[in-house]
Amino acid sequence: MNIAMRRLLGLLWLAGVVALGANTAQAHPHVWITATSELIYAPDGALTGVRHAWTFDDMFSTYALQGIETKTKGVYSREELGPLAQTNVESLKEFGFFTFARADGKKEKFQEPTDYYLEYKDAALTLHFLLPLKAPVKPKELAVEVFDPAFFIDFKFAEKNPVKLVGAPAACQMKFQRPNDGTANAQKLGEQNFLNGENSSFGMMFANKITVECP
Amino acid sequence: MSLKAPQESRQESRQESWRAWARGLTICAGAALMILMLDSAIHALLAQTPFGGPRPNAEPQVGGIVGWLLSKQSEFYREMSATIRAAKSDGSAVWTLLAISFAYGIFHAAGPGHGKAVISSYLVANQETARRGILLSFASALMQSLVAVVIVGICAWLLNATAKTMCGAEKAIEIVSYALIAAFGARLVWTKGGGFIRALQAPRPVPAMALAAAAHHDHAGHGHDHHDHDHSHAHAQGHAHAHAHLAHPDHEHRHDDHGHDHGHVHDEHCGHSHGPAPSELAGPGGWQRGFGAIFAVGIRPCSGAILVLVFALAQGLFWAGIAATFVMGLGTAITVATIAVIAVSAKDLAQRLSGTKEGDGALFMRGVEFGAAGLVLLLGAGLLFGYLAAERVTCF
Repeated sequence: MNIAMRRLLGLLWLAGVVALGANTAQAHPHVWITATSELIYAPDGALTGVRHAWTFDDMFSTYALQGIETKTKGVYSREELGPLAQTNVESLKEFGFFTFARADGKKEKFQEPTDYYLEYKDAALTLHFLLPLKAPVKPKELAVEVFDPAFFIDFKFAEKNPVKLVGAPAACQMKFQRPNDGTANAQKLGEQNFLNGENSSFGMMFANKITVECP
Repeated sequence: MSLKAPQESRQESRQESWRAWARGLTICAGAALMILMLDSAIHALLAQTPFGGPRPNAEPQVGGIVGWLLSKQSEFYREMSATIRAAKSDGSAVWTLLAISFAYGIFHAAGPGHGKAVISSYLVANQETARRGILLSFASALMQSLVAVVIVGICAWLLNATAKTMCGAEKAIEIVSYALIAAFGARLVWTKGGGFIRALQAPRPVPAMALAAAAHHDHAGHGHDHHDHDHSHAHAQGHAHAHAHLAHPDHEHRHDDHGHDHGHVHDEHCGHSHGPAPSELAGPGGWQRGFGAIFAVGIRPCSGAILVLVFALAQGLFWAGIAATFVMGLGTAITVATIAVIAVSAKDLAQRLSGTKEGDGALFMRGVEFGAAGLVLLLGAGLLFGYLAAERVTCF
C-alpha cells in the first residue's frame, strides 16, 4: 500500500502541475467598457427594453477602427461607422448582449437590438443600442445585470448618472449596485467553481446590478 | 498455470490483482488528468470574443496568489496604451513600455491558447530533459511573437485591412494551430501507445525475482523498497540517481550513433520494461517532434500582442509595438519554461517513486507518458472541435 500511496501522490502531483500549468492566470479583461443604461418604460408602466451606451477603451477603439476609410482622417461619421456597428450588435447576440434581466425572479429574453450606431469622440468609440424585451413586463421586482461571464470585457458604469429610468411609474424605486473590488473576489474564488464548469460565477462577481421595485 | 504449486499460483494471482489495480489506478488518474485539461479546453470554448476582437485565451481562474497575479496582469495591460501614447512625445516612455510588456508577458504566461499545457505534456510524454523544455519554451514564444508581428505587419501595415479581415486571418491560423496540435498529439499517442502496450505485455518478474532484480540493479537507481536501510546507504542511492540522470542526454546521443545495444543498456534504468527505451523515442525524432511542438504551439499569436501592435501602428510607433511584442514573448517564455521544468521534474520524481517495482514501475511510467500524449491529442481535438462548434463567432 505504501508503494501505491507514493505512486498515487506522485501522479497527483504530476496532474496538479500539469493542470495548474493549463489553468494559470489568463482571466483578465482585454476590453474595458464604460457603460450607461436607461430602462425604458411604456405609458402603462411596463418595462419595454434597455438602452445602452457603451464606450470602449482607447486600445480596443483603435483596434476596431483599423482599416476603416474615412473622408477626413481621424474623423468618423455615423455612416462610415455603420457597418462596424452592425457587426458589433450581430456579434453581441451570441453573448446575450451581456444583459441579464429577471422580472420577479423569472428570466426575460431580449429581441434583436434596434437603433444601433457608433459614435467616435475623444479617441473612443461608443456603441449605442436599444435592447427591446421579447414581451414588456410589469414586475414588482426587476433585476438587470450587466457583465461578461468570461470577464473578457470589464464593464464599469459611468461615475455620473450610470442608470436612468425613462417613463417609469413614479412609485418605482431604483437601486444600482456596482461590483465589488475584483481583486478581493478573485482571491476568494476557489478552484471548485471551475472544476464544476460554473465559470459564470466568476464573471458574476463583476456584475453591475440594477434593481427596480414597483409597489 | 494449473500445473503450478498452490502457493505460487496464489502469489501469482495476488500479483495479477496488484497489476490490475495498478492498471486501474493508472487509467483513473489518466482520466482525471484529462478531465482537468479538458476543463481548460472547455473554458477556451466558453470564452469567445464579442465584437470580433481577437479571441481570448482560456479564462480559467484560480484563487490566492494567482488572483493577485490576475489583477497585476490587468493593470499592466491597461497601462500599455497610455504608455504608447506617451511615447509619441517622450521617447523615454518606450523603456517604460518595454518594462510593462516584460512584466505582462511573465504574468500572462502562455500566450497561445494552451501553449504551456501542450509543451509540458509533450515534454512528459516524450521523455524530454528540462534543458530541452526551456529551449522549446523560448523557441515557441519567439515564434509566437514573430507571427503576431507578421500578421499585423502584412494585414494592417501593408494592406491596411480592417480588424475584421485581420481577425479572419487570426482565426484561420488558429484552426491550423489546433489541427497541428491534434495531429501532433495523435502521432505521440501512436508512438507512446506502442510503448505502453508493450509495457503491459512485458513479462514481469514475480515478487521474489523482483527483489533479486532490484538488488542487482541498485546502481542504476532502483531498489527504493529498502527504506529501512541505514542513512548512508540511502545517500548512496541518491548519488546513483544523479549519475543516471546525468548520463541521460549522453545516452540519447550515443544511441543515435550505435543503435541497438545502447537501447538495452538504457533499459536497465528504465525499470526493465522490454518496451522501447525512452532514448529510442526522444532521440533525433525527439528534435523533429520538438520542432513540431514549437510550430504547432507558436503559430497562434497572442491576442494581447495583436491589440498592442495595431494600437502602436495607429500611433505611428509600430517599431515600439514590435519591441514590446518581443519583450512580452521573452516574459512569456520565462514562465512557460518554468512550468515546463516543473513538469519535467515532477515526472522525474514520479519515475523515481515508481521505480520500486521493476515491471510495474515501467508500466506506470509508460502509462504516464501515454496519458500525456493522449492529453496533447485531446487538447488539440478539443480546441479544434470547440472552434468548429463556435464558428458563429463573428469578426469585424
